[in-house]
Amino acid sequence: LVLGSNRYQNARKSLHSSITEDLPGREEELTRLQKYLLEHLDQETSGSLYISGPPGTGKTACLFKIMQQSDVRSKFKVVYINCTSMKSATAIYAKIIQELCIPSSTKSRKNSKAVIEKYLTSKHKTLLLVLDEIDQLESRKQSVLYSIFEWPSIPDSKLILVGIANALDLTDRILPRLQARCELKPALMHFAPYSKQQISDIISARLNEANAVNIFTPSAIQFLAGKVAAISGDIRRALDISRRVIELAESHQVAQVLRPTNDNDTNIETSKKETIEKPVDLKEVVTVLNGVYGGTQNLNEEQDTFPLQQKLLICSLLLILNKGKNKDVTVGRLYEVYRKVCKKRNISAVDNSDFVNMCSLIETRGILRVVGKKEARLCKVNLQWDQEELDTALQDKQMMANIINDTKISRMY
Amino acid sequence: PKVRALLKQNALTPSMKRRTDMLVKPATPLQEIRTRLHVSAVPKSLPCREEEFNNIYTFLESKLMDNSGGSIYINGVPGTGKTATVNEILKCLKRAVEKGKLDYFDFVEINGMKLSEPRQAYVQILKQLSGKVLTWEQAYNMLEKRFSSNAKRPMTLLLVDELDLLCTKRQDVIYNLLDWPTKASARLVVITIANTMDLPERVLMGRVTSRLGLTRVTFEPYNYKQLYEIVLTRLKNTDIFENEIIQLIARKVSAVSGDARRALDICRRVAEITETRNSTTVNVQDVNEALSEMIINPKVQAVKHCSKFEQIFLQAVCVEAKRIGVEEVCFKNVYRQFDSLCSFDGYKTPNITQTLDICSKLGDYRLLLCEYSGSDIHQKILLNISKDEMHYALQEVDVD
Repeated sequence: LVLGSNRYQNARKSLHSSITEDLPGREEELTRLQKYLLEHLDQETSGSLYISGPPGTGKTACLFKIMQQSDVRSKFKVVYINCTSMKSATAIYAKIIQELCIPSSTKSRKNSKAVIEKYLTSKHKTLLLVLDEIDQLESRKQSVLYSIFEWPSIPDSKLILVGIANALDLTDRILPRLQARCELKPALMHFAPYSKQQISDIISARLNEANAVNIFTPSAIQFLAGKVAAISGDIRRALDISRRVIELAESHQVAQVLRPTNDNDTNIETSKKETIEKPVDLKEVVTVLNGVYGGTQNLNEEQDTFPLQQKLLICSLLLILNKGKNKDVTVGRLYEVYRKVCKKRNISAVDNSDFVNMCSLIETRGILRVVGKKEARLCKVNLQWDQEELDTALQDKQMMANIINDTKISRMY
Repeated sequence: PKVRALLKQNALTPSMKRRTDMLVKPATPLQEIRTRLHVSAVPKSLPCREEEFNNIYTFLESKLMDNSGGSIYINGVPGTGKTATVNEILKCLKRAVEKGKLDYFDFVEINGMKLSEPRQAYVQILKQLSGKVLTWEQAYNMLEKRFSSNAKRPMTLLLVDELDLLCTKRQDVIYNLLDWPTKASARLVVITIANTMDLPERVLMGRVTSRLGLTRVTFEPYNYKQLYEIVLTRLKNTDIFENEIIQLIARKVSAVSGDARRALDICRRVAEITETRNSTTVNVQDVNEALSEMIINPKVQAVKHCSKFEQIFLQAVCVEAKRIGVEEVCFKNVYRQFDSLCSFDGYKTPNITQTLDICSKLGDYRLLLCEYSGSDIHQKILLNISKDEMHYALQEVDVD
């Protein structure tokens, strides 16, 4: 890490979410992995291991670290493959052959599987095969996954297979046949989501590295870590949020207004003054966290940006859901009610095609979901938010109450 | 074959046939206004998007200065200036590079809509980076090699427009596009643009969402003040449009969608109508005409111009739906209603074959939704316009 003079910038750099060398909070898993590898190396046996865990818990990072170690590199032949890059499940064989640098004359897939099996039984260094995102290899009958997990049990093969995925029970669920034979069953290892303490440790370690520990107050770090750990325990999120917090603090410091102009680019002159860098406090963290996790409530806090006709549409939907007998709402039925509502309020209604368009505009906000058959008129409309959320989003309680309590219209439907 | 090989190596640049005549310059003020109001004429400055501009600009600038990778998700309904703002920011960044304030960066742009298949994204990216055209597998391997090698390269900015179209069942393309920035050696910043606010939570897999990160910018629909300002900046230094007229258009558009394209389209149409009137200033009638043209309901017109029996048939569908209380009705029962309505009006009822013909014709107009094209008397029929609209249309006929 190259350190500059600007502490904010250093801190921002150090909080990157790419793969790193030191993994605080994963010591136990690392030793377990190492032990597993060494045991199998000593006994000259094959084995398979399945690593599971939610996104952002450091599965790939741990294996990268193991693979970088010099004794692993000298004793094993290491192959790492990310399965998302495969064209289809069966393409994995060709990829493995390519990575192993086996000269193969034919290109057919049947052969390539045989070539690998032949290689496994021949004399070679123990192979450490790491397959990342292994659930991408699902295929009909799971033939590819089965044959891969059967490799370690081939007599005389020296292979340690490591599969990585998110699902806790992938091997039990889609590969039940492995249960039948004990030697085929992969060892399981779970990466738990990071706890509050671990997240705060990671962030402080990163800041330490950048020589900018006091850029965050301790309470701010604790608060951030607690929030992220409670929701997902995803370290990528934690780092992302802390980076955002620093960006926000920095933009407060640099009191400048950029304007999108071409005429005079004097505006883009960055007049960053070297002022005293205040540590980030709880307030900034709360602002960013609310923006991220506050979700729907604070969408429209600053200004009223909901178009009127869309408000009317949502109110009509609420009217049907609250007062109507039949809660099954199609676009056609919603349109009829909407027209009634508009007529009553002396507002000209939009026409049918515009109405369908409007439904999809609201859908982009996540308020509705239009479950489509092919006819737009027959699509079902499902409300995704509850009424309180809508209350705050629409910011027009009076109109809403007026429409929703209009039993006259609802009685017609 | 030789030409094709040359094309693949990018030795020939594709060019368009030129016009034989010179383009006519706009002569009258109204014509000038029309070119200025065109959606393609992006103005030099984008009014009402300062905050978003600031937000994205500082994000990208800091990434470029830090030499670190990352991704940002920009969302908002169509016509709210997402792509225009990003393009403007890129222009500013490029100018900063020219001035020597930033290091040089590569810029690659792909659009989900313009790809025949999500995996073609790799081909496009590689083509823009190195000018080679390969199959997607080869292109993917080249890119993978490029982004995981530690060789000294400038930063790369990748703009992915219409992200939702790159979603497949496996989501491998999106995963790869967002996984590259997490490698320290990639030095890649991905800017993704889509319409849906909750796309990451709704459609994308957990691991893709985790990589997409939480840096998100939402473009709200324009409200009427902003639309007013946008049109006003386009019409600078002219007095053809009065303020009240622009306000009227802005209010109408902001009530429905807040789409700036639509506001500009309506203004252009107004200018056209004024031109056909041989007048030089716009008045309110022109605006009303343009608005009613845009908001006109073609279905009402269609029902008005249907033949007598077709209209009676539509009425019969309506009556039958009312009788049984379900929207979907059977042709057999509709025919019974049709028969009685015809005799009530004193017409001779067409036979079943003729009536089926009427029904399928109405289905072709999309005034009715028929189950399938093979018409028989047990088919289910559904009205495709609202009852009010239909009654409105038919009443007018009766009055005549």
